Amino acid sequence: MEEKATYFINGVGIITPQKTFDREVFLSEISQYDKNILTCIAPDFKAYINPIQMRRLSRMLRIGLSAATICLRNSKITMPDGIITATGYGFLDETAKFLKELLEQGEKQLTPTYFMQGTSNALAGLVALTIKCMGYNNTYASKGVGFENALTDTMMQLNENASLNFLIGAYDEAAEIQYNASIRASHFKTEFINNLSLFDTNTKGSIQGEGSAFFMLSGKSSASTLCIMSDMDVVYKPDGRELQDALDNFLATNSLDAEHIDVIINGVSGDVEHDAVTNTLIRSRFENTAQTRFKHLCGEYTTATSFALWLGTSILSRQQVPDIVKVQHWNQPDKLRTILIVNQYMSKSFTFILLKEFVETQ
Amino acid sequence: MSMSQRVFITGLGIITSIGKNADENLQSLVTGKYGFGSLEVLETVHRDSLSACEIKLEDRALSEQAGVPLHEGFTRTSLLGLISLQEAIQSAGLSPAEVRTSGLISATTTGGIREYETHYYELMDPKLRGDFVRFTDTATSGEHCERMADHVGIKKYLGTISTACSSSANSLMHGAQLIKNNKLDRVICGGTEALSKFTLNGFNALMILDKQHCRPFDSTRSGLNLGEGAAFLVLESEAEVNRKKRTPIAELKGYGNANDAFHQTASSPDGAGAFSAMQLALSSAQLQPEDIDYVNAHGTATENNDLSEGLGMKRLFGPDIPYFSSTKPYTGHTLAAAGSIEAVYCLMAIKHAVIWPNLNYKNMMPELGIQPVTTLRQEMKLKYVLSNSFGFGGNTSSLLLASV
Repeated sequence: MEEKATYFINGVGIITPQKTFDREVFLSEISQYDKNILTCIAPDFKAYINPIQMRRLSRMLRIGLSAATICLRNSKITMPDGIITATGYGFLDETAKFLKELLEQGEKQLTPTYFMQGTSNALAGLVALTIKCMGYNNTYASKGVGFENALTDTMMQLNENASLNFLIGAYDEAAEIQYNASIRASHFKTEFINNLSLFDTNTKGSIQGEGSAFFMLSGKSSASTLCIMSDMDVVYKPDGRELQDALDNFLATNSLDAEHIDVIINGVSGDVEHDAVTNTLIRSRFENTAQTRFKHLCGEYTTATSFALWLGTSILSRQQVPDIVKVQHWNQPDKLRTILIVNQYMSKSFTFILLKEFVETQ
Repeated sequence: MSMSQRVFITGLGIITSIGKNADENLQSLVTGKYGFGSLEVLETVHRDSLSACEIKLEDRALSEQAGVPLHEGFTRTSLLGLISLQEAIQSAGLSPAEVRTSGLISATTTGGIREYETHYYELMDPKLRGDFVRFTDTATSGEHCERMADHVGIKKYLGTISTACSSSANSLMHGAQLIKNNKLDRVICGGTEALSKFTLNGFNALMILDKQHCRPFDSTRSGLNLGEGAAFLVLESEAEVNRKKRTPIAELKGYGNANDAFHQTASSPDGAGAFSAMQLALSSAQLQPEDIDYVNAHGTATENNDLSEGLGMKRLFGPDIPYFSSTKPYTGHTLAAAGSIEAVYCLMAIKHAVIWPNLNYKNMMPELGIQPVTTLRQEMKLKYVLSNSFGFGGNTSSLLLASV
């Protein structure tokens, strides 16, 4: 029997519609939105990007590069061995700008900037270029499972060589053209709501979110280790039985019963139909476990698993659960050692991630 | 963890401007038939000024070949992918049960942007209804992979890679890793790319398109020709190949992925990224430069790529550069699909003991002093072959394929 590998999260940098870039606060100042579109609370980019470089970068590239830089600084790694990014919709704002110009100008007199910054791998390339990292470099653009692909890739790299440090990140932007095209298909709610009342709604659709989060993963712990990622699994388009089996298999593979999980991070998105599926699944095995939710804070986006991973990492490293993420009838767990993330995207893909507290041994 | 599991290629499928299946592609390669010419299917104002390597089939014909209804919202990228994916499944002789337990790793740069740009104004008006709503999500890269997976019945593992022009080489790498880590027994990997106004105008704005037929590694080269196409390869584990007692097509023996870290859209002048990707591919296969019999170069015919790649090869191989050629003049640059398309051409080269000529080459680049293979070379026993794919963002990848 092979021993299960362990993956350490040794740093994080995250920019989202809440003030998450600042390590000094942990969801204590909450931003509210009332137009169903949540956009990033950005730091002063000058703290992370040199001004000459910044002039040429789109908003989302600035956000992504800043998140990556925060992660590098927090993990005290100047040169990672590899960089992997993930996205669902890519740099859709830049793509749209080029597309609009192309259509409006009849394919004439176009400049290439928007085209260049619209490619999905622009951020992984930019981070590599900025820190001169010539190592492994990859970008997954797989709708709801891109960040999960990146985690899988990283875990395999670390299985081969545990001492590597991989900088992996996710980004997705609340692009106007995605909103306009998708609202017709009930991806987003047609009635305006306050983001904090997302889970009080009883309608189809979610609210549009965005964010960029970077993590430093290694097979070795460091002075900055925040928590342990033990395992991850994804199921695509399962029927009810397959979904239940997937969760049960995940728990069994990790020798876990319900009582071993201290906190669940539930990826419900406020869509009445999708949420019913996930809530039923979680209730089936975790009747009394303390639950948290997060998409009222960041909105729904294809790589929102990265927000959940940051939330879980922060709960374990700070030994604190912010009130804003607690589900009603919160049962305070007597310890915060093991967290299970159950995320879903449009009930099409489901993700399970197991996180454990990192306890330093001599 | 044991990393000793070998990875074999047991099936392939391909569609390009030089053929709608593997046999047609092979015939064109042998006879020197290329796909470059006027655009007839893509609607663009550049039809008279910018030629490309276009597949001269309307979506209706592609839908028929793919076996899907025309109005179900399959984009041209999905259709090309599906055609080659189904050919790959058939060529490997996979049962429906084997397909279900396979992974699918696809690659594309812009997915279904062709349909998105066609229906843009309708899509932007939420009050409108119509057939166009089927293209709601086609501006994403991952949409096509889900459409293809759903059609052939793959559920076990899905992924879409988008690293510009190195994308599908990376999808083969990711697939091989999944097998080596015992996560999958079988994974179908490749990439697909349809021509679109978006990419045609993007590359035109970058001023790296040649209006003439492209000339890789020639001192008069002045840019690339765009192309469209798709290719998928079935990768299976050593255990699976032994269990089925089938002779695989070849072994995916090594791979390298690196970053040039030089410029957003240009390769470094010294070919550092190219060198690094090829060297990593060699070391992962535990081979030496002199073991390589042929390199299928990225060779886009841009001034920058061919110089950078050539210098990378010279640095790796020294004075004894192996036979090399770029097949881009046949197919054009198919962007995300180039890596898997050229991997298929390498497998055909190994099988038929030939080296494909680098069409249109006449004048040596003085900075390089090296010459690609310019005529079809036959009776070339090829044991180890490298296939290079490089892209924007500094992404460089190299695959090492071995005869079995």
